[in-house]
Amino acid sequence: MTLEATRLDATLEALADPVRRRTIELLGVRPHRAGELADKLDVTPSVMSKHLRVLRHHGLVSETHPPFDARVRIYALDPAPIADLRAWLNTAERGWAEQLDAFRDHLDEHR
Amino acid sequence: MNATPAETFRAFTEDIGRWWRPNGLFQFSEGRNGTLAFETGSNRHLVETYDDGTAFIIGPVRVWDPPRRLVVGWRHATFTADQDAELHVRFDPVDGQTRVTVEHFGWDTIPADHAARHGIELATFQLRYAQWWQTLLQTLDAHRPN
Repeated sequence: MTLEATRLDATLEALADPVRRRTIELLGVRPHRAGELADKLDVTPSVMSKHLRVLRHHGLVSETHPPFDARVRIYALDPAPIADLRAWLNTAERGWAEQLDAFRDHLDEHR
Repeated sequence: MNATPAETFRAFTEDIGRWWRPNGLFQFSEGRNGTLAFETGSNRHLVETYDDGTAFIIGPVRVWDPPRRLVVGWRHATFTADQDAELHVRFDPVDGQTRVTVEHFGWDTIPADHAARHGIELATFQLRYAQWWQTLLQTLDAHRPN
């Protein structure tokens, strides 16, 4: 399996959970603190922390802390895996685009 | 397409064996590619025939409405009896030309775990997933401020 496919599997696995998908949606708007995410998603801090660990492990989110307080963790979306996912989807969709291109060429030659 | 809807519908159906490009994404029987054809007559099917004379029925024609619309059932050999993707094709006149719109439904009837465990080819699996994730990405786009 190529590295690309392995990373794609990791992304899909990370997103195969409703709480984690919602987390990605929220982080797509702006970075959040773990506590904010737990509040918005209505889960306990320990459940939230488990999901954030999975997302971090698979490279979908990164963790920073504000300069004034090392105890506060801020989570942000890492755009690279989502961009890879998008590129892969485009390949899957190209199937019909290729057929329709071939059909147009045929029509232009034979009508 | 630079043709009228009637010409386009005719070429799409009658000539499909000449313009269709077999590829991994739409391989009906695993490991082999044949020639596509719409059967003629009242009980039409989309069929792929192979060099050895055998054929695979891809699906029945459900709507045959020239020069406007075409609906065809769509199965790969690895699908179970209750799995059916359905192809909808529309031919709309636009300024003396024809816009062909393809909608391919039903990949969500193929459960992902089934696909992984029962040897449904990767391409089908990808199409099924692509539809699912497309929805997620649309949601993401809707949430993202510009």
